Amino acid sequence: MWLPLLGLLIGIVIGSALYIPIPGAFAKYLSVAVLASLDSVFGGLKSILEDNFDGTILLTGFFTNALLAALLAYLGDRLGVDLYLAAVFAFGVRLFQNLAIIRREVLAGWLKKRYLAAAREDKNGQC
Amino acid sequence: MDNVKKWRIPVFITFLLLGFLLSVQFRTQQIFLSDLSLQKTDDLVLMLKKLHDKRAELTKELSELEKQQHTFNADANAGETLIKGLRQDYQRQQIALGLLPVQGPGITITINTDSSVVYLDLVDIINELWASQAEAIAVNDQRVTPWTYIFWSKQNLSLMMNGVEITFPCTIKAIGNPDQLESGLRLLGGVLDHLAVYKVYPVIKRHQNLELPAASPPEIRYLKGENND
Repeated sequence: MWLPLLGLLIGIVIGSALYIPIPGAFAKYLSVAVLASLDSVFGGLKSILEDNFDGTILLTGFFTNALLAALLAYLGDRLGVDLYLAAVFAFGVRLFQNLAIIRREVLAGWLKKRYLAAAREDKNGQC
Repeated sequence: MDNVKKWRIPVFITFLLLGFLLSVQFRTQQIFLSDLSLQKTDDLVLMLKKLHDKRAELTKELSELEKQQHTFNADANAGETLIKGLRQDYQRQQIALGLLPVQGPGITITINTDSSVVYLDLVDIINELWASQAEAIAVNDQRVTPWTYIFWSKQNLSLMMNGVEITFPCTIKAIGNPDQLESGLRLLGGVLDHLAVYKVYPVIKRHQNLELPAASPPEIRYLKGENND
């Protein structure tokens, strides 16, 4: 449980320690990429909770989502279509969906534990 | 445990990268927000308006402060004027009291003989000069002040003024309007007529510029002003 948090902390420290100048024009794409990464991470958490986790899917999803989001946003800018907004919308919606599922899973797990402790199994599996 | 092992490494990596991306993006966004050329036009317009308002406010404040400074300067000037006025006033009082040497047009009255002159004659002449609006009087270069006393000294057998003997020929100097002073003395039945009875004929001369010395100030020990604490 503590390992992901440690990873997050280390990543933040590295990012703060290294100065990586991003040109203003690319800040937008980076923001979409970050959004995509967030979505992937929450998707990963969801899959852990749903017991169908696959490390390969998570890692590939993480990179491809981020890159594709950035690329699509860039392409959209070139074409004069605000694909950037589409990416924000899509990943935003998925993010909230993932969060909702995570919440339900956690809640369900917690309830299950409680009911098991109370030796009552009739609520098992309820979302 | 197996399950945990399975996801530990990928999740660690993704979280690491996510943290990295987040902090980089955070910093970029900070820079982005502080860079004017990357701001939205609306924001810039709003900013411009705010700065404009601020500037107007500051300009107003500046003008108010300038006004205040002006007032202070005026006050300082008023203070200076007051001090100047007080100084002038003080000087006038000193002149009036005979504490400063003075000069101005006036007349001299020279009495050559001492045979028949009594101290009252001198007092009469001085009174007449004051009455003729003399502004300063001196007898033998001694200023006549409010605390001047003239008497006949039996010891010295001479006229005394402020404790100093009046020697003859005696010259009385008076500053004022020469015409007025002389006509005052020459009034019919006046001082000169009175002296003429005793065969005393003072010589009166007019002068454009007479110089009268200062008297020493009186010693004040008991005197108090009405408002003095």
